[in-house]
This record gives sequence, structure tokens and C-alpha cells, in this order.
Amino acid sequence: MSASIRIENLTKYYGDFLALDKLSLNVETNENIGLLGPNGAGKSTCLKILCGLLKPSSGAAYINEHNVVEQSEQALSCIGAIIEVPEFYGYLTPRESLSYLGRLRGMGGKHMKGRIDEVISLVKMERWANVKIEKFSRGMKQRLGLAQSILHDPPILILDEPALGLDPRGIVEFREIIESVGRNKTVFFASHQLDEVTRICNRVAFIVEGKLLLYDTLEEVNRQYETLEQAYLKLTGAL
Amino acid sequence: MSEFNKLGIVINYEFLKHIRRARLWVILGIALLADALVLILIPVLQDGYPDSVLTMAALMTVGPTFAVLGAVFFAGDAIAGEYENKTGFMLFTNPIKKITLWTGKYLAGYIAVTLLIIFTYIITVVSLLVIYGEVPFDTLKSWGLAQLYGAAVLSVTFFFSSISKGSMGATIITLVFIWVISGIVQSVLAFTGNPYWYLISAQGDSISMVYGGLDAFMGGFGGGEGFGNMFDYEIPTIAESAWGMVIYLVLGFGLSIWIAGRRQLA
Repeated sequence: MSASIRIENLTKYYGDFLALDKLSLNVETNENIGLLGPNGAGKSTCLKILCGLLKPSSGAAYINEHNVVEQSEQALSCIGAIIEVPEFYGYLTPRESLSYLGRLRGMGGKHMKGRIDEVISLVKMERWANVKIEKFSRGMKQRLGLAQSILHDPPILILDEPALGLDPRGIVEFREIIESVGRNKTVFFASHQLDEVTRICNRVAFIVEGKLLLYDTLEEVNRQYETLEQAYLKLTGAL
Repeated sequence: MSEFNKLGIVINYEFLKHIRRARLWVILGIALLADALVLILIPVLQDGYPDSVLTMAALMTVGPTFAVLGAVFFAGDAIAGEYENKTGFMLFTNPIKKITLWTGKYLAGYIAVTLLIIFTYIITVVSLLVIYGEVPFDTLKSWGLAQLYGAAVLSVTFFFSSISKGSMGATIITLVFIWVISGIVQSVLAFTGNPYWYLISAQGDSISMVYGGLDAFMGGFGGGEGFGNMFDYEIPTIAESAWGMVIYLVLGFGLSIWIAGRRQLA
């Protein structure tokens, strides 16, 4: 198996603050990885670097062997992402937004229209498909964010707390979609919801203060720490 | 898919934004109102329209001047808005070069400004034809300069948008820079007899100055040339103004692309 995501000594400073400290990690193709850690651990910074939103202070990251800084277009063409609460242009409808982003990814014609219908139906937004996004709640934007991330059927999904802002029913629906879609994809997934991670991921990575403390299969983590929650609490210093 | 194709897509959706937002229609309304006031108030406040068609044409450049104002409102949020509203989290994760994105936004804004400018010149041409039965050739030059002025103002706005945290800040800074600071410095330099062709506010004056300057303007009202001699200063030539606008256009846009390329979305 080849690495879908390869992170080598990734370091990021915000001024004097060290957010990522020589992080190294390989994510193999079709693996579902849960990225865990307390607030400010560096999870979002790591995902933002992978998505080309931030530049690393040193080190390198590769998506399907494309350097995310030097070959950002090639790297970004392999991913679908949700970073923070997704914000869209308020003057567009979901259908128009998806059409805009789909076109930027080279989609078009009947195939794109059909695919837009498909993903809108998947995130259960049919009723809102032609309503301007400016009227949308946070949860609805989150649903649309998921729709855009899978629109072009990318081999890699990068998700930063994708269920944030959703109601309980929405969280369950989201989890089911990611579970189902992620079966044939590489999913790199930051979350505080351990239950979600247990259901979706087969490996977990713990980051604390920018450092990778543990990267192993869920089975091995459960064997060592009994439960994922115990592992989380011990590794983050709460126990 | 080529970057040129992506550029077309960005222009398409950005132009749709301008069409759907109220600001385009508000600026259009203000520009029309300005032209209407000139057409209504002049014959009411004095005995008919000016004798010279050039004077009337110069007076009617208020419409295009307000149309150019639209550039500031179209471009203020072009770069800053992506960071402030966090829409960049969605847009920047797509495989498109930032330069393509900013260029598309610039061109969409320029198309919107062009539509406003053309509309105000149509009103000028129709009004002059109805009142005088003729349209001076200089109107074509004035239109060309208005287009250049619109492009320069758009570039300056892009520059402030690239360095500002918020869209509102970028819009206000640009308005203050062009119409207040540059205007005040222009008055001081003109009064003290120093060259001021390099000021963007002075370059904008070329839109009306193309019809003959202050002397011709006062002559058109039958007021002689006295006012024109009140200050002893050199008005920038049309060529100087045009070159000045080209400099603002290239520098403003170039710097905005360079700065925006280095901004990160944390």
C-alpha cells in the first residue's frame, strides 16, 4: 500500500507559539484515521497545512506524493475537505455553490448536475437546494460543506470536526454518510467525538502540544488502554 | 482544465455576485440621480443650458465619476472578505491558483464598473443630442479615461483589500485615500504651484478636463476666463493623467496579488 498522506517533520510557528513540533505521520490508502487531541493541540493546523491554507515553518507534507506547498493544485485536486464551519457565498444557492466548486474541479454537463442532485440528496438538503445560503443555519452550512467535499468523489477526505454545530440527528446522519462514503477512501478526520472516531476510523493519532504521542490501530489502542476514552484521558494528562 | 478556463468560471460567478447584490443598483441609482440633477437644476437655476456643448458635456461627467465610485464597493471585499467571512476555507481548498482567483475577481468587478460607466455615457450622449443636436468627439476620450480611472481605482481598492482584515475597512480606507487625502494634497500642491499629476484624484479630473479645462468651462457659462486665472498652476495634461492611472492600475493590482499570495488563513 502507498501513502495517501505523508507528513515529514512538519513544524508550524504562529509568531513565537509552536503549534506543530516536527510531526511525522503516514496515512496509507483507504485508511480512516482519527486525529485526536485537546483544543490547541495542533490538529486543525495540521489539516490546514494539508489543505494549502497554511504554509509550514519547516518540514513537508504530501498528498498522493504531491508536495502541498510546491504542487498545491495537484495535491488539492486529490482531496475533499471541510475545515472549520464551512462558509459559502450568501448570494448563491447550494446548487449554484456546488456547481461553482464542481466547475473549478473540472466537472460539468449532465454528469455534474446528476452528481449535485446525488450529494444534495445524500445530505438531505433537497428542500433547500434553491434557497440562498445567506439564510442558512450553521448546521445547514455544515451539511452543504459535506456535500461539496464529496461532490467530485475525491480519493482523500480531510475533515476537521465535520459534525460541529449539528443537532443529534444530524450527527448520526453525518456519521453514517462518512462511514459509508469513507469505505473506499482515505479519511483523515479530526474530532472530539470519540464515539464518532470509534465508528469511522481504524487507526487513531494522538497529538498533544503539537507532538505526535501515539499512532496506532484502534484495536491496539483499546488493548493497551482498555478504551479510547481512557487512552485520550491518559495521553492528554487528565489521568 | 486550464487556468484560463478557471478564470472564466471565477469571472462568471463573481459577476453574478455583483448583479445580485444591492450595491450595483444603488451606485447606478446615485449616478443616474447625479446626471438628472445636472439636467434639471442648470436650466432652473440659470437661463437655460450652457451655450457650449463642451461645458454641458463636462458637467455631465458627474455620472461616470459616481459610476467609478462603484469600483470601491465592488472590490473592497474581494480579498479581505475571503478571510473575514472565512469563505476562503471553502474556496482555497480547490485546485485553483490564487492569481487566477484574484484576477477573476478583478475582471468581474471591472465588467460591473464598465457597465455602470457605459450606462452613464449613454445618458450623456442622449442628453447632449436632445439639447444640442450634437455630441463632441471628446466624449469618446472622456469615456476612455473614465474606463482607465475605473481600472486604477479598482486596483487601489484591491491593494487596500489585500492588506485589510475586513471589507469595510478596505472600502473606507480606499474612499478616504482617493477622495479625501489625495484631494486635499492635490489642492495644497495646486495652490503652492507644485506638480500633482501623480495624484489619483487629479487623474480622475481628466474625465472632465478633456473637454477643455476650467477656462473653457467658465467660458461656457458666459463667465469669461477670470476664474481660470485665479490660481497660477499647471493642470496635468491628459497624457500625464493617463500614465498616472496606468501606474496605479499596474502597481495596485501587482502589489495586491503579491500580498494576498502571502496571506494565510489560520
